[in-house]
Amino acid sequence: MTRLTPLWTAARYVVVGAATAILSIVALCGLCVVLAMSLFGVGLPAVPEALRLIRPLVAYDRKRAARYLGEPIAASYQPLEGPALSQVAAAFADPANRRDTAWLAVHGFGGLLLCGLVIGFPISAVNNFLIPAYWWLVPGGVQTSFGLVVDSWATAPIAVGIGLLLGWLAFQSPRFARWHALVARELLAPPVGVRLTDRVAELTASRAGALEAHGAELRRIERDLHDGAQARIAAVVMQLGIADQMRERDPEAAFGLVRKAQDTATDALAELREVVRSIYPPVLSDRGLDGAVSALAARCPVPTALEVAPIGRQPAAIEAAAYFIIAEALANVTKHSAADAASVSLGASADRLFITVRDNGRGGADGSLGTGIVGIQRRADAFDGRAALSSPPGGPTVLRVELPCGL
Amino acid sequence: MIVEDDVLLREGLTLLLGNAGMTVVAAVDNTTEFLAVIADDRPDAVVTDVRLPPTFTDEGLRAASEARRLHPGLPVLVLSAYVENSYAAELLADGAGGVGYLLKERVGKVERFVEALTRVAEGGTAMDPEVISQLLVRRKPDDPLGTLTAREREVLALMAEGHNNATIAGTLVVSEGAVLKHIRNIFTKLNLPNDDGGHRRVQAVLAYLNA
Repeated sequence: MTRLTPLWTAARYVVVGAATAILSIVALCGLCVVLAMSLFGVGLPAVPEALRLIRPLVAYDRKRAARYLGEPIAASYQPLEGPALSQVAAAFADPANRRDTAWLAVHGFGGLLLCGLVIGFPISAVNNFLIPAYWWLVPGGVQTSFGLVVDSWATAPIAVGIGLLLGWLAFQSPRFARWHALVARELLAPPVGVRLTDRVAELTASRAGALEAHGAELRRIERDLHDGAQARIAAVVMQLGIADQMRERDPEAAFGLVRKAQDTATDALAELREVVRSIYPPVLSDRGLDGAVSALAARCPVPTALEVAPIGRQPAAIEAAAYFIIAEALANVTKHSAADAASVSLGASADRLFITVRDNGRGGADGSLGTGIVGIQRRADAFDGRAALSSPPGGPTVLRVELPCGL
Repeated sequence: MIVEDDVLLREGLTLLLGNAGMTVVAAVDNTTEFLAVIADDRPDAVVTDVRLPPTFTDEGLRAASEARRLHPGLPVLVLSAYVENSYAAELLADGAGGVGYLLKERVGKVERFVEALTRVAEGGTAMDPEVISQLLVRRKPDDPLGTLTAREREVLALMAEGHNNATIAGTLVVSEGAVLKHIRNIFTKLNLPNDDGGHRRVQAVLAYLNA
């Protein structure tokens, strides 16, 4: 069964491919008409519209090829926006459109041919195998696949040989489908230069986000210290100063002030502890991310299972981000999910840290509503990481976060 | 015996405990010396910081459990700039009693601090109110903790900190009989075996809260 699965997958891939190939030819013809009309100027406004119609078809093939290859194929188009004229200019300037057009042509004809071959090989193979059994029934002999005629027992083995060859070719269909998908990747993925440009744009945005987040964090810490501990310690100094003045006149009241100063200093410490915890939780430096996360899980009011692969020590900023992401995720689980069980899993590859937080609650969490989820997204973005939330109504809710580390 | 790397705090503690009529047999700033000192001579109690040289992470905790392996039941009072309830659970793990875990600033209330240390030295427990409040978060909608009255929660918190009935009664300004009644109710509601004996009661409560 398992040996036949790739054959089946390949057959499905090329058959669906034949359908998109026919559509591709239609699309190509339409595009040619539009371009021909453009030569006289009248077709120009239709060019962006035509491209918009074609893109879903190309995108579908891109997705199919990506699924077949088991690796994502990126898409990168320059946006078709603004006044009609600039859209037309952008449509002609973007190399991705030329590549899409090339794909329509290649796939339109190649896809149909491939489908014909992949379906034809096994059928012809079976036919050729059967020829020795029935050639004598057909007056004048039977023609085999390559034009040879079987009209005697001496020539019958030829049909078997051709059958074997075609059978072998039929079993190669996954390979043919793969070649097709590779061609798709070559034409439909943006060339390396474009990909790098996109990546630079992404990194610039994430760096700006990181700077912004860092700035906001600094302002928050400054405010917390200024309004909290700093103010309280100033009060302590004042209370002690007054106590010093009153020492002779009214020792009893002075003593009361010393007590009060002690209480104020204790409050200042409590606030400092909060600030420290919000900057870099001490348990992280004591116990590392896994230890800190198990403390988080233990403290979560919803019973939380932990699954921690050995992740070693990561850069402090990444550990802190991961810690706060998990803390926020668990806080969301507690507040909104009504779940009675949750799980946190932590894993790492050579250069990425993976976090999954799952609960069995009511689902329906919306990234555009909960601030916690927005906060998680922002923390992940700041490190050029990824956060994905899946929360269908009725649950379960699954948050997946990927953070690059060890760069 | 004191293990603390900050000079001011170490000397302050020595002075404070001396004033309270205790004898500080040794005051050291690292765990190696600490373990060397107790190897020869078991002190009545140890007061230790959590973060100590060389790595300033959780040396104090690890040294404390090491020391308690050497001298089972050696009373240890851990002081820390912040509390983490998983650390409290680790300290309590061997079930031998004589364990304390307090925020450093609790030293400021000298009387209470000395009382806590004495309790630990006698095999009792002294948990910081912050640890207890972290533990008293309701876990599930049907958590039996939710069925406790406000007064019962207060009693439970004080009991978990390690106080005896008389102190609880004094703190809440009620009679000891009333405290006893509350405790019986708590144990029934939480479905714990009723056990009047000192630290075993605290352990049962903390084990329940930590579960």
